Amino acid sequence: MEQIKTKKVEVRNLSKIFFQKNSSFEVVKDVSFDVYDGEFLVLLGPGRCGKTVLLNMLIGTETRTSGEIHINGAESGKPSPAMSMVFQKKALLPFKTVMENVELGLKFQKIEKEQRRKICQKYIDLVGLHGFENSYPHELSGGMQQRAGIARAYAVSPDILIMDEPFGALDAQTRYQMEEELLQIWEKERKTIIFVTNNIEEAVYLADRIILLSSCPAHVKAVFPIELPKPRDLFDPEFLRIREQIETQTDLSL
Amino acid sequence: MEQFKKKNLIYQILPLVSVSALILSWIAFSLATGGIIFPGPASVVRRILKTFETPIAGMTIIGHTLISLKRVLTGLFISCVSGISIGILVGSNRYLKATLGSFLEIFRPIPPIAWIPIMIMWFGIGELPKILLIVLGSFFPVMLNTASGISLVNKINLDVGQIFGGSKISILKEIVLPTALPSIFSGIRTSVSCGWTVVLAAEMMGAQQGLGLLVMKGWGINDMALVLGAVIIIAFIGAMFSYLLKRAERLLMPWNR
Repeated sequence: MEQIKTKKVEVRNLSKIFFQKNSSFEVVKDVSFDVYDGEFLVLLGPGRCGKTVLLNMLIGTETRTSGEIHINGAESGKPSPAMSMVFQKKALLPFKTVMENVELGLKFQKIEKEQRRKICQKYIDLVGLHGFENSYPHELSGGMQQRAGIARAYAVSPDILIMDEPFGALDAQTRYQMEEELLQIWEKERKTIIFVTNNIEEAVYLADRIILLSSCPAHVKAVFPIELPKPRDLFDPEFLRIREQIETQTDLSL
Repeated sequence: MEQFKKKNLIYQILPLVSVSALILSWIAFSLATGGIIFPGPASVVRRILKTFETPIAGMTIIGHTLISLKRVLTGLFISCVSGISIGILVGSNRYLKATLGSFLEIFRPIPPIAWIPIMIMWFGIGELPKILLIVLGSFFPVMLNTASGISLVNKINLDVGQIFGGSKISILKEIVLPTALPSIFSGIRTSVSCGWTVVLAAEMMGAQQGLGLLVMKGWGINDMALVLGAVIIIAFIGAMFSYLLKRAERLLMPWNR
């Protein structure tokens, strides 16, 4: 890495506490990290605690208890066109076709139909859904639905893409294939990606850098830069060594 | 494949079988009871045709049907427009749900027929009170179904709308309303049958025209063929309504099939 890395996202001392009648529940505790331009950053953490809340605070659909988030240098608090998101599951609108789902963001931006169709077609082709433009989500397999979700997130050409365990609900075979294709898209488009997963192998396969989060409440436990060239070989001894090194430090109950 | 076709054919034939069975038992029952208190299909058809020679209250049966139909459609139109709009407001805004929603909740359990004396006292027996009664009877199903359909929207879908930069109005249009559409339609379907119930009751209470009048006239002169004729026309129009609604649903909600 020769060029100077510019910071895309700065997260500082971010915390989230949910208050209930007589109790409070801390899910994110004093989390700080940076994300650099063009980086593929993976937030790795045990299931069911804090990660989605952390992402929702980043994207601006969840309020924070304390802390700061700067996107492109500016304080951020609500959803902005600089960021878009791929969700865990069921976030495609069931009553819209693949094309209509993908063009949602551009439609909201009041881009003319002809132009937005052209942009969306490009991303639908890129994720390999050519020919399924007019299918409804329930007619697609889980993997194809996630492809549509990825196309939708790319179509608004955001600076930063946030992906919340996008392949978590897929079978192993589809998952490997999707990971590989996601890397190809990332190489082509060079967007900054913040990817959340609880799968160590997936994290090591995809990441430029892994931020390891602890179990409840989520806070940063360790940071691992992964310098292996991509695409990576899952059975390469170095790959396995890194994987093991991370595994010994996680709170994952595997 | 062959098996599959056979099975589908069965589902097409079965409705015909059940309707024919109904008509056959109707004939059998009317023959067994002598045909006066329960006339058979043939005498009902004859009675309907007779209205073309000797009109009732100056109108053939078609005229009476159109009058009732016009009242129902006018009432339903007002109910649907107001019910869907108020349903959207109540379903999407907590304050309105607490104020307007609870206010309307007081009126909901009142059977619309209970308003008939008041309506006649206030507005006489013209068109206005009848249409108002139909509106009273058919407003709540649409309104309540719209409101509950709107509260069915998943939070994640609303988040999608926000994240992709939708304004409140465009999220309502692109995400919330389509989610509520099936529920709105089932409200409309209930409203249609409520509308017919009420129009008949209103016309029976005091009208110079309409299918309700025919039912009352038939009752008054022991002409059961006329009563049944009106009933069958209502059943037929009801079936048409539900067929048209189904077509509209398919057209508006292609993702459901």
